[in-house]
Parts: sequence; C-alpha cells; structure tokens
Amino acid sequence: MSSNTNTISLGSTFSRGIWKENPVLRLLLGMCPTLAVTGALKPAITMSICVMFVLTCSNIVVSLMRNLLKPHLRIMMFTLTIATFVTIADLAVKAFAYEMSQTLGPYIPLIIVNCIIIGRAEACASKNNLVVSIVDAIGMSVGFALALCAVAAARELLAAGTLMDFSVMPDKFVPWAAMSMPVGAFVVLGLLLGFINAITNKSS
Amino acid sequence: MQIVKFFIQKSWLLLIAAFCFGVLLAVTNAVLSPMIEKNRIEALNQKMRHLISDANTFEPAVEGVVIADAKTTIYKGLNDANEPVGFAFVGIGSGFADKIQLVIAMDAKCQKLKGFQVLMSNETPGFGDKIKEKWFQGQFNDAPADKLQLSKSGNIEEKDDTIVSITGATISSDAVVSVFNTYIKEVKNILKKEGIIQ
Repeated sequence: MSSNTNTISLGSTFSRGIWKENPVLRLLLGMCPTLAVTGALKPAITMSICVMFVLTCSNIVVSLMRNLLKPHLRIMMFTLTIATFVTIADLAVKAFAYEMSQTLGPYIPLIIVNCIIIGRAEACASKNNLVVSIVDAIGMSVGFALALCAVAAARELLAAGTLMDFSVMPDKFVPWAAMSMPVGAFVVLGLLLGFINAITNKSS
Repeated sequence: MQIVKFFIQKSWLLLIAAFCFGVLLAVTNAVLSPMIEKNRIEALNQKMRHLISDANTFEPAVEGVVIADAKTTIYKGLNDANEPVGFAFVGIGSGFADKIQLVIAMDAKCQKLKGFQVLMSNETPGFGDKIKEKWFQGQFNDAPADKLQLSKSGNIEEKDDTIVSITGATISSDAVVSVFNTYIKEVKNILKKEGIIQ
C-alpha cells in the first residue's frame, strides 16, 4: 500500500461521496440519469446498482494500472475500461431484468458518458491504491444512489401515490401528473438542491 | 521498422487492454446472449398471447419477410383444435424520440385488427408514452384491418378506421398509425401470396 492510505482515512473517503462531495447534490455530476430515470424508485435503484458496478470495476482497473498509464493514453484507457464494464452491465440487465432494461432504454449504455465515472478515475483511482479506490467508488455510488432514490421517491409518491409500486397514499389523493414528466424531475431536483444548500450554509 | 517499434512502445498498454477487454466482452456476450434471446421471445409471446387470447400456441407462418426495410416474422396463433385464430407480427416505425416496436395482431381472416402492444419505445413520458395506455390501444381493437386515419377529435369508442390522436403527442400517435398502415397492407399481401388466407 502506498503512503496515501495512511494520510487519507478510509472512513472520510467513503463519507466524502455521500455528503461533502456527493456527485449529484454537491458536484452536480450525473445529471442526465438523475433527471431521466427518476420517474419511479425501481428504475432509479437499477441505475444506481449499474453505476456502482461500473464505478467500482473501473476504479479497480484504473488503480491497478495507474503506474503504467502514460499521459497521452490516460483518457483513452479510462474510456475503454468504462465502456467495457458498461457493456457488461447492459447485457446483465437485459439477461436478468429484461423488462427493466426496456424501461431504462438507452440510459444504461449512456453510463459511459457519466462524468462521475471518468471523474473518479481521473481524480482518485489514477492516483491512489486499490483499497482507497474501491472505498471511494462505493462511497460515490452510495451518494449517487441516495440522491437518485430521494428524487425518484418524491416523484413516484406525488405522480402515482405509490412507492416501489405499493400504494401508500390515501384513496382521495389526486396524482400530480406533472411529476411523472421531465418538469417534475427539474422541480424536485431544484428543491432538493436548495434544501441541501440551506443545510450546508446554516452549518457553515 | 522503427515506426512500428515506436508505435508499440507508446501504445502497448492500450493494445493489451483492448485485447483483454475484448475477450471479457466476448465471454460475457456468449454467456448472456441465450438468456437475452429467451427473454426477448418470452416478452413477444406474452404480448401476442395478450392480443390473441384464444390462441394457445404461436408458430411462424412466414419467416424473414422484409417490410419497410426491416425483417419480421408473421406468427400464426393456434387454438386447442390447432385452428388458426389470428396473426401477429412485430412492426417498426419512427417515433418522436426513437424507433418504436409494436406487436400487431389481426383476426384469422385478416379483416379486423386485434390491437397492438408496445414492445419497445422511448417516447416522452407523460405525452408520447400514452401510446401504452388502454384508451388509445383500445381504439385499434376490432377496427377494420385496412388503412387507418388519424384524427384530433372523435369518438374513441367507435370501432372504425379513425384513430383519435393523443393530445400533445401527435407525432407518436401518427407513428403508431403509420406502422399499422405500412404493415397491414404488406402482411395481408404476403399471407395471400403464400396461400394462408384468401
């Protein structure tokens, strides 16, 4: 293990992705899936699992070959690695959750262009050892999943009165159709970002 | 020779990684492809069974026909007595955002439609994806298996050749009607040519 492990606490590396450097809520990365697949909780959870798989695997590979990476090949290697794992994730979803793959459409292949993945490969995995890279990937993925699920839960609840397809609202509840539309994603994400900013400003 | 040596020195890692990832993808594809194909067939069968409910089994009536530059198979739905009760096939057309794939069904004489189910679409949520809703799909049940027309208003309960479009999603509605108009005529011609219907 390199000296980095000693200077960077694994706990803070993990928690960084969940709160301080949450990719969606603090860094505003990965906006495309955040807006596109948060119409309901199930697709949001599936997308989060795929991102966790791709991010962890690509961080492992990039970390293992970090000493061999040459500057002119860096981005090409990252893209090649990410594209490979995204294709595997896409095939796996089609094989084990076919209906969900139809629901998610092109958004699983689009993980290739998700800035979180290439961002962590560049900022963390290419500079740190295997353990730190894995912990960073898991922390960032959990942070991404929490943000996605928060937006998806609010939208599904208001648009259909359900959570994970289980009815949770009273019979008299009138669904807000706008929440299932793209505008719903922008409104919920905007309110969530405002709420998070208010908390951070207050605490600082 | 020196150029080759220079090239290899600069890119050996990329070449090895590309080879390893290629092998990894080939193995994954070999393992998962049969499962994906099985899922695809199962999804198609489920939708055909939903449309032609009195059919117990489906078998290809005409395989590999090319309609609108896309290859498709016309399936024959058979009941318990092994008599044909309808035909179904997959039709592809251009939707608002992407291609749409529909499973379309007709009765055994190809005179009336038995409706359609969406196999794949990426239409806009809240607008174009209403092509999956019952009220819109219901207009095609028992409609004549001839040229259909799209209208902005009308009675959705009436079983005629007029389909009322979805408000705010005219392109998606038109895409569905276009798929019907393209495929129905061709499929009927093919079935007549093959001597399957009169």
